[in-house]
Amino acid sequence: MKVYLDNNATTRIAPEVFDAMLPFLTERFGNSSSFHSFGSDLMEDIEAAREKVAALLGAHAEEIVFTSGGTESDNTALLGAVTINPLKPGLVTLKIEHPAVLEAAECIKSKGHPVGISEVNSDGTLNMSSLESFISEQTGLVSIMMANNETGVIMPVEEAARKAHEAGALFHTDAVQAVSKIPLDVRLMDIDMLSISAHKFHGPKGVGALFIRKGIEIPPFMLGGHQEKGMRAGTYNTAGIVGLGVAAELAIKHLLEKNGGTGLLLERLESGILEKCPGAVIAGADADRLPNTATVLFRGVESEAAMTLLDIEGICVSSGSACSTGEESPSYVLTAMGIDTVDANTALRFSLSRYTTGREIDYVLEVLPPIIEKLRDISPYAK
Amino acid sequence: MWKYSEKLMDHFMNPRNTGQLLNPDGHSEVGSPQCGDVMTLDIKVDDEDRIAEIRFMTFGCAGAIAAASALTEIAKGKTLKEALCISNDQIVGFLGGMPEEKYHCSVMGHEALSMAIDDFRHRRDNTSEHLDSILSEMPADLAAAVGNGSIRIEHVHPMRVCVRFSGGDEGTVKAVLEKKLRKLAGKIVKVIVNR
Repeated sequence: MKVYLDNNATTRIAPEVFDAMLPFLTERFGNSSSFHSFGSDLMEDIEAAREKVAALLGAHAEEIVFTSGGTESDNTALLGAVTINPLKPGLVTLKIEHPAVLEAAECIKSKGHPVGISEVNSDGTLNMSSLESFISEQTGLVSIMMANNETGVIMPVEEAARKAHEAGALFHTDAVQAVSKIPLDVRLMDIDMLSISAHKFHGPKGVGALFIRKGIEIPPFMLGGHQEKGMRAGTYNTAGIVGLGVAAELAIKHLLEKNGGTGLLLERLESGILEKCPGAVIAGADADRLPNTATVLFRGVESEAAMTLLDIEGICVSSGSACSTGEESPSYVLTAMGIDTVDANTALRFSLSRYTTGREIDYVLEVLPPIIEKLRDISPYAK
Repeated sequence: MWKYSEKLMDHFMNPRNTGQLLNPDGHSEVGSPQCGDVMTLDIKVDDEDRIAEIRFMTFGCAGAIAAASALTEIAKGKTLKEALCISNDQIVGFLGGMPEEKYHCSVMGHEALSMAIDDFRHRRDNTSEHLDSILSEMPADLAAAVGNGSIRIEHVHPMRVCVRFSGGDEGTVKAVLEKKLRKLAGKIVKVIVNR
């Protein structure tokens, strides 16, 4: 049996998405920027996709810029926003952001601009007083992820947005992991910029979007063309954009279905693990989390060894770290929560999707406990 | 997933010589600070200086567990001198190869073994020093038991010593030596008296 529980890494393409994309990979191969209608007609499909993405985010269509994915969206938002006002070149972000944000922050810092990295609480949530301590008059942008990719912990972005706006700064959120899993609305939450990536919610890889609130002008990240009103150069990835649109449409539908019961399956998995694997601890257990993500620490059991045995049984999960070069460090997300290095090296992440079935969860609950026990038996850390 | 050989996977899934020894002659605990792996190793050494029993515990990836298992298989029955010559290449070869990025996993086993042997030698030196000091001081009760005979050390092991004795009362010699060694070493050291 093959059980894919690594949906925070990437997801399968929904059949509806695939069907919608196919014509654009075959007969309708035109360039939407062309003069002839064979190409230019494709603009209608692109605009239809834009409407769907806007609907998912509670935005207006003209506020959506298509990108190559979450990384480009994050880079565009961060590197752009700090250049808007020379008096406000500073950035404040969070210690457990995705590297797409953290490395952009490093880049901003290397240019001599003030960068503050907020701490997290032991439950994996944003430490609000730490955030406040970094926000100053110089802060041009505050960027806080909507939910963490490893723990699934949901951040208080509305409050963070308020703090940013009080200081006259813009607010960006990396919603790559959150979108489609929890309801979100850029107007209600007062968000200025928001990043998403199609392949995290059953769309294709290599396409995403950046919401930029009307009235905010940031410089483009990709240069060399007039596409997206000059905001993002490069020939339209028509098939990808259409796929993203359909994925967004499906996400709205499944959100209305209370996440398709994924939350219940996660609960079944978590309670089963806690019951059958004594000593297991769920990271951020007390915080609000995405209904599809659980990172579990199996005391004394090195995660890569466990993943290897699970892989043999057909179960795909992930860990925050990998012992590959001998220089690999444990998950910076978990250590930021105060979890020590040894325990951080015991973390396994289970991330479900709406395609996950109860039978798959039961299979994991049957296979996992003896694997954990077997490795504990030979571990000097187990006692 | 790493591409592991069949033999390596066998040693990972069915590791040999796991666990701990009740009263080991040598014990070590080593860690790899880079990747957080930890390993413990226990050995029992016979009177020919051969590794008679060996047990390990590992917190580490598949490569680290298999390498530790392979090391114990290679080391078992070898003299301490021979065991110290076991190389990482030998472990990797025994396992039918290993991804290059995982070579560092096999280093830990080698370090654990040399430290366990060091620990054994240290314990033996301790016992040896205590025995030497008893025999050179020759306290009255021991002198009485030895009488006109002679006594010399034949072999020292951390847990047992062997002496060659000629003369009168070997039972008393054994009892007196054991009592004094116990007092000095703080543990039971068995005395074997050969004639």
